[in-house]
Amino acid sequence: MRLLNLVIALVNTNVSMTKQQIRTSVAGYGDAPSPDAFERMFERDKDTLRDLGIPVLTVDAGGHSDDVGYRIDQDAYALGAVDLTPAEFGVLSLAAQFWQDKTLRTDISRALTKLRAAGAGEVANDAVAGLAPRVRAVGDAYGPLLDAIGARRAVSFTYRAASTGEVLARQVEPWRIAARRGGWYVLGYDRERRAPRAFRLSRIEGRVRAVGRPGAFDVPAEIDVESLLGARGRHGGVARLAIVPERAGALRARAVSDDGGPGDSGSGEGGSGSPAGRDVVAVPFVDVHGAADEIAGYADAVVVLGPPELRDAVVRRLRAAARLDAPDDEVTETTEATGTEDDRG
Amino acid sequence: MAERADERLVRLLGIVSYLDAAGGVPVEELAQRFGVSTQQILADVDALWVSGTPGYWPDDLIDFDADSIERGVVRLTEARGMTRPLRLGTREAVALIAALRAMREAVAVRSDRARSAVVESVLTKLTDATGEAAAALDVQLAPEGDPQVVAAITGALVTSHRLRVRYVTAADVVSEREIDPVSLHTQDEHSYLLAWCHRAAGRRTFRVDRILEATELDVPVEGHDVDPEVDFAPAPEAPVATIVFASPARWIAEQVPTESVRNLADGTFEVRVRVTNPVWLRQLLLARASHVRSVEPSWVLDDVTGAAQAALAAYGAGGAGGAGELG
Repeated sequence: MRLLNLVIALVNTNVSMTKQQIRTSVAGYGDAPSPDAFERMFERDKDTLRDLGIPVLTVDAGGHSDDVGYRIDQDAYALGAVDLTPAEFGVLSLAAQFWQDKTLRTDISRALTKLRAAGAGEVANDAVAGLAPRVRAVGDAYGPLLDAIGARRAVSFTYRAASTGEVLARQVEPWRIAARRGGWYVLGYDRERRAPRAFRLSRIEGRVRAVGRPGAFDVPAEIDVESLLGARGRHGGVARLAIVPERAGALRARAVSDDGGPGDSGSGEGGSGSPAGRDVVAVPFVDVHGAADEIAGYADAVVVLGPPELRDAVVRRLRAAARLDAPDDEVTETTEATGTEDDRG
Repeated sequence: MAERADERLVRLLGIVSYLDAAGGVPVEELAQRFGVSTQQILADVDALWVSGTPGYWPDDLIDFDADSIERGVVRLTEARGMTRPLRLGTREAVALIAALRAMREAVAVRSDRARSAVVESVLTKLTDATGEAAAALDVQLAPEGDPQVVAAITGALVTSHRLRVRYVTAADVVSEREIDPVSLHTQDEHSYLLAWCHRAAGRRTFRVDRILEATELDVPVEGHDVDPEVDFAPAPEAPVATIVFASPARWIAEQVPTESVRNLADGTFEVRVRVTNPVWLRQLLLARASHVRSVEPSWVLDDVTGAAQAALAAYGAGGAGGAGELG
């Protein structure tokens, strides 16, 4: 274990060790066939140790030489006292199952190894019995993006825009990785468009590469994730629906009492109430498009009485669907084909 | 040995600092704590035994009590200064804290005071120990549905009691059934309750936002052998539908289980999906018809256009105004 011996040597050294001292005295480095090979080996080991949370410090070796020395400062790497109860460790073990990606699972299992070494160990799962929170796999872009965010470096990647289907190279200053409603996104500043943008990771084709120098930008203190993810233009409201008896139970479950809604009664359309044989139900919604998608799916079981923009959105969908068997009828819906880089899923 | 050197290094250092504080620890207990076999622990001890400071004379090396190991208890006698537990690396802290924050916001946690207190306190302790790098990753899980339903489910999971639920399927059929809950899978898009269903006499998965009512019964769950993995792979014998969508509907290719996705030259794309549930496909196509370029086979097409025409007729006959714009 060359790494282990390097750590022990650099923790125990009085002041510091020079590269030469490391090469000649630390077990494992004597194998390096040349100064270059040693140099590569040592650099790689330093990187590995830094990634593990054990930073190798560079210090002035003193004396006449301009050699630098290296040491490891235990205060810099030690985990502060983390005194976890069995129930708390039970929660942590659950967090370990949260990720589907191998890299993230590796990161978590290493974290748990460290916490166990710090004394946490007994696990009590009663507090979280039966819970299994889990997020879908984020994919290969995660590692390079997270590193770039940490280093404040720009990244470049090839991206397929959903709105147009165009595949273009993008250069982005990444701020944050976010998971929402089944999608993974990177939020950041798009250098060509000179504006903040969200990019869906599953639409990145090929590799994410870091470009330029570290510390190239600042991450804003406040990032409005929801608005970057195209929650823009959401107009919520209360839908008045005429539902066939016994149908659309999932919609009915979200119903509010009909008279309790904010008074849009003034609109007058369809005012007198229910079409024959249907129940009229008031259901709040957060977004016209999402609500229209859901309601259109019920076909004739649910008719929208209001508000008009929701009714129109549903009717537009139904008309497009009714014409699907007309081969050359190019049905496009420009009002919704535009959009941000993402969608409302 | 398939294990990466850096993973092993973390464990080796962990074993030393843990033993330094804990004294003699049985090999089995050490193996359990670090999640490896007892053979691996003995191999780790052997590796540590020959490691130390340059010179590598006996006094330079990490040392263990050999007699004690003969008796199956690992006791450290010389730590060579490696007594401090390793702090969490940035990536580790990010992965851990993002998961905990997402859990904190889950209804199943938020709605239960004891549970949310535990998550909150572990988050506080870890955030103190790791700093604020965790902001780089931000995960929100799905809203799970009616808080009363979630409370009944989580309560029943803790007490291992049976539930009576009223459930509406994707095909919009409401039923009442008694189920033995197994686990609540909160995912980023939807939450699912895995359970043994007494009505179906089998393992069933219920989407939580379609559980209309849930009541905890004073009946203990029966021991069923239920595979705890929730797997949504469609049945392989289901028929395949082929649909070409315009580019803006790309999320479908990303979120729906598909057999294949093919990008076409004009920016459209073709997906092949297994139709385990025709109602589900009809709902999808009704909602996204404006982005559909073609559908095969024809029975799927007929089903959708038929449903749409019936719905438009309902609007026409509904007398709710605006009928004149149809046609």
